[in-house]
Amino acid sequence: MAAAVTSRLTAAVCRQFQRVVTVSSYTQPQCATQAFSKFHSCQRRQTYDSWWFRSSTNNRALHTSCVREGLEDFFDLPENWGEQTVKSGAPWTGKQLRVKSNEDLHKLWYVLLKEKNMLLTLEQEAKRQRLPMPSPERLKKVERSMKRLDTVVTEREDSLRLLQTGQERGRPGEWRRNVFGKTFWYRFKEHPIPWYLNSRYKRRRFFEPSHVAPYTRLSLEKYLRSKIRKEKREKRNQKMLAAVFPKKTALA
Amino acid sequence: MLFVPRKNNTQVKYPLYQLGNPQLRIFRPTFNLTLVRPGKEQPPDTVQFRIPLEMTKFDVRNYLEKIYSVPVAAVRTRIQYCTNKKRNHLNQRVKRPDYKVAYVQLAQQQTFQFPDIFPEKDRKHEEGSVEEMQEKFMEDERQRQKPDPRRGGVTEWFGL
Repeated sequence: MAAAVTSRLTAAVCRQFQRVVTVSSYTQPQCATQAFSKFHSCQRRQTYDSWWFRSSTNNRALHTSCVREGLEDFFDLPENWGEQTVKSGAPWTGKQLRVKSNEDLHKLWYVLLKEKNMLLTLEQEAKRQRLPMPSPERLKKVERSMKRLDTVVTEREDSLRLLQTGQERGRPGEWRRNVFGKTFWYRFKEHPIPWYLNSRYKRRRFFEPSHVAPYTRLSLEKYLRSKIRKEKREKRNQKMLAAVFPKKTALA
Repeated sequence: MLFVPRKNNTQVKYPLYQLGNPQLRIFRPTFNLTLVRPGKEQPPDTVQFRIPLEMTKFDVRNYLEKIYSVPVAAVRTRIQYCTNKKRNHLNQRVKRPDYKVAYVQLAQQQTFQFPDIFPEKDRKHEEGSVEEMQEKFMEDERQRQKPDPRRGGVTEWFGL
């Protein structure tokens, strides 16, 4: 409990520093402040959940030269260079992400993105040097976290859209019948010209020709027949099982 | 709508641009940049990246400036075509995916040297652990395999 509290506190502190130190930090080349280094280390720690960033060994040392301050984010902490395994925490779950605000999710997305870039550079360099990559499971963790974040954000967008406009889908569409007689959901595309001037669109016919109509009926009959057959098979199966395993009461 | 195909069969739709439309902003970019060690010698201010095929020079510049706050002077890109000639055990052609390479030149006379990420480190295993025992065993084996030092480098082939 105390651990969770401290993690929340450090996360809150990181967030405060993030508000103070904005992204345009390359305009101020003097980056030797402790606040900045803490911001960097906090940014790295927030990638993985909870306990990982609380170890004291993960404090980034103060650096005064800012020759490639931005590009250092493409590499791991210098202490981890050459290690066989690097410890990392669990990926973010959907439950944890749903609690976060939109600003936090936005910032977390970029943290995860930078972490993924770092892992990809590490992977490529390991392939180049013909050495095993330390802890490749980190890549999967980050990918899963990003996927879950995306799911949470789309959920929120969908619910907002439903409440505000009543539209179920973000992209408009309609049911159409293609040349083969099959009905499908056609999703609209943006065009700079109307459809009757679009020769390529007109070649794509959204109606079934008259000679295709009998086949639509036949395929429908086939589908219905297979559905009924499946239901009958299921019923027969249950009857057979009931005959083999009759229901007995406790008294019998 | 500008369609950008993605690897997992979902297409990203960006709205069409016509004169007067607002600037397209991507709020959660899915582009991943990979910093690579250059194969050929590059000038000291040049950094080499592997970027997705759909990214442009402007995208790279904005990405580095906004997300990594790296001052970018110039970006040049090229597409590396990878082979479709290799065949698997079923004699089917296997395509190695193409990738785009970006050569980014840093502004403000900054330099970048690709660091050594896999330095040799002396690892001390803890006492009584499995790795410690394995290491000891390997060391003993190596000692046993060494030739007799009293022969002064002469091999066993020459009798006596």
